Amino acid sequence: MRTPPFERVLVANRGEIAVRVIRACHELGMEAVAVYSDVDADAMHVRMADAAVRIGPSAPSESYLLVDTIVEVARSTGCGAIHPGYGFLAERAAFARAVEDAGIAFVGPSSEAIDALGDKLHARRLARSIGVDPVPGTLERARIDRPDAVAGIVADAEAIGFPVLVKAAAGGGGRGMRRVAGPRDLPAALSAASAEALSAFGDGTVYLEREIHPARHIEVQLLGDVTGRVVALGERGCSLQRRHQKLVEEAPAAGLTTEERRAVHDLAVRIASAAGLRNAATAEFLRSPDGAFHFLEVNTRLQVEHGVTELVSGVDIVQEQFRIAAGEPLSGAVLAAADRAATPNGHAVEVRLTAEDPSRDFLPTPGTLRRWVMPSGPGVRVDTGLADGDRIPSEYDNLIAKIMVHGPDRDTALDRLDRALGEVEVAGVQTTLPFHQWVARDVDFRAGDLSTEWVGEHWDGPAQRSLVAERAATLAALAVLETGSGPSSTAAGTDPPNSRIGRGDAGGSRMSGWGTAAREAAVDRWPR
Amino acid sequence: MKTARVTDRISGEVVAEVTRDATADRRGALVLPAAGTSTAHPEPGRTRLEVVVDGWRFEFDIEDADRADLRARAARGRDHQSQHGPTQVRAIIPGRVVTVAVAAGDTVEAGQQLLTVEAMKMQNELRSPRDGVVDRVAVAPGATVEPGDILLVLA
Repeated sequence: MRTPPFERVLVANRGEIAVRVIRACHELGMEAVAVYSDVDADAMHVRMADAAVRIGPSAPSESYLLVDTIVEVARSTGCGAIHPGYGFLAERAAFARAVEDAGIAFVGPSSEAIDALGDKLHARRLARSIGVDPVPGTLERARIDRPDAVAGIVADAEAIGFPVLVKAAAGGGGRGMRRVAGPRDLPAALSAASAEALSAFGDGTVYLEREIHPARHIEVQLLGDVTGRVVALGERGCSLQRRHQKLVEEAPAAGLTTEERRAVHDLAVRIASAAGLRNAATAEFLRSPDGAFHFLEVNTRLQVEHGVTELVSGVDIVQEQFRIAAGEPLSGAVLAAADRAATPNGHAVEVRLTAEDPSRDFLPTPGTLRRWVMPSGPGVRVDTGLADGDRIPSEYDNLIAKIMVHGPDRDTALDRLDRALGEVEVAGVQTTLPFHQWVARDVDFRAGDLSTEWVGEHWDGPAQRSLVAERAATLAALAVLETGSGPSSTAAGTDPPNSRIGRGDAGGSRMSGWGTAAREAAVDRWPR
Repeated sequence: MKTARVTDRISGEVVAEVTRDATADRRGALVLPAAGTSTAHPEPGRTRLEVVVDGWRFEFDIEDADRADLRARAARGRDHQSQHGPTQVRAIIPGRVVTVAVAAGDTVEAGQQLLTVEAMKMQNELRSPRDGVVDRVAVAPGATVEPGDILLVLA
């Protein structure tokens, strides 16, 4: 084994990404220190770490967002580096700065780069200054504080062309964003977006962008080292979104030629180089129907969907993050992967399994997992931080597993996805599994005919659910009619009826209805 | 039991009436006892099951159809005596109560916002199912609720 980049690392996150980072630590021969809130005391990332420190109650603002506490835990446990994962503090320049000031390596871009690229207006101006086209729109803040400037903003919008988007300079995830159909609605949208941005990000700065419709979302995975060298590991297609949240991601993006891949990789590397970016980041672009790439923003962190790039590039991005943070130059393996980034090895697809009800407008469904079987087999990778019996807390993100597949081409990968999703068994909470199964089989998705509006235009959750309601009700009734009182925890279709508990019970009129917690517990422990 | 009546626990709608000779495709299906939350246990004579088919999750109450008819008649009799029965407004998702917009004694209209439950960083507004008067508010801001928990009662 090579010398580990660090002896001990603090993982400032929870859930599947904390588990992912701890795995990289262990493969590199480093110890991992986890932090946790009360509700996560028995979570997988805590169980897997070499040491774990409680940092507060369940609310993120009292635990995973505490900059000083987390830096102090790293110092007192002798950690040489802090990996922020994604979300929480990952893109807070103040956190990166506090880590740097404590003499600890921040596993990510520098605080200056996070600051500069986190301001979308700054990033747009930077792109323009080196000849990369941002999404058409304004490059300076809209002066909504000055009534005399309104006419100028309306003129800007007319020049861009309606519908326009009002966007927050500090924004993300669709917050602080408004779509405006005509000049009459613009002033109200400006103040609403600004107020929302101020409350969400502490910065009410807004600007205007043209709405590209239909648009494809293409993003490029970047790695940079301390020498200033930046390379692209390939692009991902993330067009399947709902309310600006990605649902399905793939690498490479569907429907691009090798030349088009090279072109968008080059745009991303130019922007990142100009920003002095090091470590891992992702440049996002929108592709308009005419084929043009428009620069959207740079995310200065590890992305949720980094795994699909790992599968087709052969690079462990998290391990490389640690090597870069320790001052190592980009490795030969990374440079070789970057050379073949436009001709990746096969095709990888990821679906984000979340605790949401796809028949009720993706309403969150926190709860306790009562059955948890994830797929495996050839070409399947599952990143999760959950195990059977775990509770999905309502305080945090509702991503429960990333199911990834890899195959020689897109069609084979999607066949594999369909197979893998068929192996999933989850009970206790409604998940987005039916949506993903539908996507894997959908003809339009297979054809690669995608846009960021696709989900809203194609998915009818209530109709899909009602297709199976009667079958589900019949199975429930038969379970009772056949046994007198219903099943133990068994998979219907795999267990013979006589293996079910309750078979010896008296007739239906005296059924207990599983009325006591003690009996419930006994049933749950029945051998499966 | 000859015929089983299957009711959706959340909506209260009868989904199917099933006899012993019925058949259904068992592939891709899970059938297990419903979770043991505080409000999950139905009255004697009813079995509560969780069924997952092709990733869709259902919670059903299953009971003898004849028996269910008897009970329905009895319930109608009670309703008749009290004109309109009270309506219990229950939680449909687990989470934390953020705001309570009404108090006991308030007159509310159908669709009026009653309270807000936060789950996974999203705030879900709960609206009144009908016109009425708030008889009782069972939760306060900050309370943690599970599906099926009574939030408030309309007289």
